[in-house]
Amino acid sequence: MEALSELLKEYALTTYSMKPNRLVIEIPRERVKDALKAIKEKYGDTGIYVSTIVGTDFPDKKQVRLDYYLVTHPDDNVYVLRTWLPREDPRVDSILDLFPGALSGECETHDLLGVVFEGNPFIKRGFFVPTDITSKGVFPLRKDSGV
Amino acid sequence: MAVDKVVEIPVSLEVPIGPQHPALHEPVMLKVYAEGEEVVKVEVNTGYNHRGVEKLTEKNSFYRNIFIVSRVCGICNIVHSDVYVRAVEQVMNIEPPRRAKYLRVLAMELERIHSHMIINAIMAEVLGYDTLFMYIMRDREKVMKAKEILTGNRVLGDYLMVGGVRRDLSEVDRERIKDVLVKLEPEVRKYVRVFEEDETIGKRLRGVGVVKPRDVTLHGLVGPTARGSGINIDARREGYDAYNEVPFNIIVRGDMDSWSRMMVRWHETIESINMCKYVLENLPSDGPAVPDETKLSRKFPVGEAFARVEAPRGELTYYVMSDGRQNPFRVKIRTPSFNNIINSGFSYIGYTIADVPVILTSYDPCISCMERAIVTDLRRGERKYIRFKDLSMGLK
Amino acid sequence: MGKPSLLKDVLKWFIGRPITIQYPYEETPIENRFRGRHFADLSKCTGCSLCAIECPADAITMEKLPEGVSVPKNPRRIYPVVSYGKCVYCYRCVTVCPFDAYITTNDYKLAGPAKLYSRDYSLQSIRGGEQ
Repeated sequence: MEALSELLKEYALTTYSMKPNRLVIEIPRERVKDALKAIKEKYGDTGIYVSTIVGTDFPDKKQVRLDYYLVTHPDDNVYVLRTWLPREDPRVDSILDLFPGALSGECETHDLLGVVFEGNPFIKRGFFVPTDITSKGVFPLRKDSGV
Repeated sequence: MAVDKVVEIPVSLEVPIGPQHPALHEPVMLKVYAEGEEVVKVEVNTGYNHRGVEKLTEKNSFYRNIFIVSRVCGICNIVHSDVYVRAVEQVMNIEPPRRAKYLRVLAMELERIHSHMIINAIMAEVLGYDTLFMYIMRDREKVMKAKEILTGNRVLGDYLMVGGVRRDLSEVDRERIKDVLVKLEPEVRKYVRVFEEDETIGKRLRGVGVVKPRDVTLHGLVGPTARGSGINIDARREGYDAYNEVPFNIIVRGDMDSWSRMMVRWHETIESINMCKYVLENLPSDGPAVPDETKLSRKFPVGEAFARVEAPRGELTYYVMSDGRQNPFRVKIRTPSFNNIINSGFSYIGYTIADVPVILTSYDPCISCMERAIVTDLRRGERKYIRFKDLSMGLK
Repeated sequence: MGKPSLLKDVLKWFIGRPITIQYPYEETPIENRFRGRHFADLSKCTGCSLCAIECPADAITMEKLPEGVSVPKNPRRIYPVVSYGKCVYCYRCVTVCPFDAYITTNDYKLAGPAKLYSRDYSLQSIRGGEQ
């Protein structure tokens, strides 16, 4: 666990831990792709995989929080990369060329929360949400969506 | 030779489970573009109805969510409620007694046995081997009886509660479950031999759907799909519930095709039977396994937790965040079929159309939908509908 | 090697008795603790409505007791009515009741509109079997 926080020391804003002892590292949104590239170079192709991408909406802070959960292969540790995006303009670089497995997570987060992943050609509105909600232009997981 | 016929197939998989299969499953459409008999490109379309669950969990209290979340999947409902309850226990700082942990492991391993038996039966049915399908389902009924003795219901065992389990296991019932397992094991070994030695199954399954280890981690495939290609990932190694005390082996095979994925599942079934026997013989009695539900805490601290569990299909993760109120702030569910099916469009390329259902079944999709395939003959401009079973016998 | 090793089984089951249970003519073997029809025992119920609050499917509604029925423990004179169509049989109401006032059975033959609500079952429980 310490190896990863050493590696990302230049990018990290804060680090803390989530239950049950998973390491959380907060990085600014412009450095997400560089941080993931550094991680991939360290662990190689078969050492790490992207497990989950979670987006959470905070309407009172006017921010959307995005988490990337990574699992390393032989030692089974879970790391969390956390970034904050402004609610009016939630754009972040897509990591599809580094980890093609992030396709499902990125498509779902876009469809449900409205986060735009630049560079991902597969995102579209009708991926998960049925058409009567997409025609209203509403993102269902936002707190003020009325769904 | 010029291409004059493009077969455009939206292929949907039929999972013939019958009336005991509850609702809330994702329908999936694979758009397969084929040139002659060889698959050239595959697009995966989804339009699902179980993500409404994430918004629904924000409107109900933590305790009502246990039952709502258990109904996301019918085949693996005990593992869904187990990981949600563990995440809530992390937030509330509660540790269940050891007897409850052992009973949870027993329920989850029974779930794994019946789920692996049904996917192997479906694989036999997709290949056309209906006799084997019926025989495996007959032996699976014994496992459903064991689940009924333990949890009170054959399919949806609402068995877990924050702080333990909801029903205890008496001595008489313990002997009955052990009888069921002892009768089941020689039958399972017979089916393992059939899958290993039968020539037809070998020709249909070996060499089909090869996934290299590098592709497995890059695309995030989990579960027996990954373990059939040599990658040793298993969420049970974390040692949650009683898995740090019950001995078990993780089955990994090196041939990267569909046959090795199905054999991983059969050998895991035998491992699960041994684990259940160990749990039944060594049940501790250190505390009451059933918490008193009338005295559960009504105050929830602020916090978040991330829990993983090894469902029969792979790694299932839950993220629960609470901000002090009665309802959770955010619950995020990522099922293993989400990664396995959507990210696997690359592995169909180069195989024939008759291999597409075999490859899809070997990933163990947790979906149930209609069977429909559309063949467009461009030259004549007509469309006809083919049944899924005819498709797996080859295109005329 | 290559021989279908199920041939012996096929012949044995072909001659022997099939394993199918012809349901309406034979009974299915069922456990005693199977989660079946449940209803409130009005001699113990106090009308606290916890079961209605905690039901995940919102299948329980509280209704007023009819006149002429005496329940000394129930000042508000309301009792829970279970709608068996909406119920998911999780038994959360049974376990959360502080007075243990639910009667559980393993009755699984619930199809049909005649006995859809638990009113008759609950009201019979305090008349003590008199019709």
